[in-house]
Amino acid sequence: MTATGIAIWLLAAAAAAALWRRDRAAVAAGGRFAIDTLKAVLPLMLLALPMAGFLSVLVPERFAALLLGPETGLRGHLVATVVGAFIPGGPFVSFPIVLALWSSGAGPAQMVTLISAWSVLAVNRVIVWEAPLMGWRFVMLRLATGFWLPLASGLAAEAILALLPPGTVGR
Amino acid sequence: MPPGPTAPGRKAAGRTSILVVASLSAASGLACWAIKGSDGVAQALAVAWGLFLTILPVLGAALLLAGFVQAGVAKETIARWLGAESGLSGLAIATLAGAATPGGPMAAFPLVLALAAGGADRGALIAYVTAWSLNGFQRILVWEVPILGPEFAALRFVASLPLPLVAGLLARRLPGWTA
Repeated sequence: MTATGIAIWLLAAAAAAALWRRDRAAVAAGGRFAIDTLKAVLPLMLLALPMAGFLSVLVPERFAALLLGPETGLRGHLVATVVGAFIPGGPFVSFPIVLALWSSGAGPAQMVTLISAWSVLAVNRVIVWEAPLMGWRFVMLRLATGFWLPLASGLAAEAILALLPPGTVGR
Repeated sequence: MPPGPTAPGRKAAGRTSILVVASLSAASGLACWAIKGSDGVAQALAVAWGLFLTILPVLGAALLLAGFVQAGVAKETIARWLGAESGLSGLAIATLAGAATPGGPMAAFPLVLALAAGGADRGALIAYVTAWSLNGFQRILVWEVPILGPEFAALRFVASLPLPLVAGLLARRLPGWTA
């Protein structure tokens, strides 16, 4: 197991111990939540992982590097914003797509922009959930305050990456 | 607080997700086979298998951690945090509450509606929704860390940390919205 795996297992054990001292029933509820979520997530994952594999074979290396590579600057971030805004579905669709693009040569900061655009702009979610539930006035208020966030997060990621030793965040 | 979606509703949403992912996966598989042949398909499935082996041990721990955090922080607590404070600290609390809210749009938006009806401030609601969509802890733990790795997840988290606050501040300066 990787260091990450061990760290998260330790964190989960610490959370369980803290919860046990406060409310023993909550530990069982947390465990049930984990099992229920696993049952819901596992079929999605078994379908989404082959998609990630297919995409990583399909997306030509030059293509991802050309449009979204680390050296594409502002243009790459704008492309990432548009691509991210139109990726439909939950994290089980978007994260495998990001992984495929990243391993085909896209830059990490550009992928930050893409995930932010998918999170904040989410054309699909706006049409299916947000507009019917919240109304268009709320959608407009949210987009007016949030349209620039993907670019801001991507540029912030560029700045952070520039401070880190090269290769800290890499595939 | 309005009742959440009924269990059958959530099940139907789950089935729709499975159908969507299954068709995307099948379409990309077909394209892969058509363009790269069966060698390409074998190569893609090897990539997928490698990913699965990387993700599986982390996923179990991530799900347990998300479950314990969720069991420790009740929905009522989140609602109380959001109504309590105004000013910059109100926006900071809304940001934290948004990140702590698990689940998809069917969980988050009804909560926002209830809070708006209860008179919560517009900036806090925008900060809440923005933090939920950008930096939901559960999504980071269950999907992002296993698939993209902890370094990338940390980079993205830090880069987007202050943004819900700024969006909330902007929302307070824009013309009003009422539910």
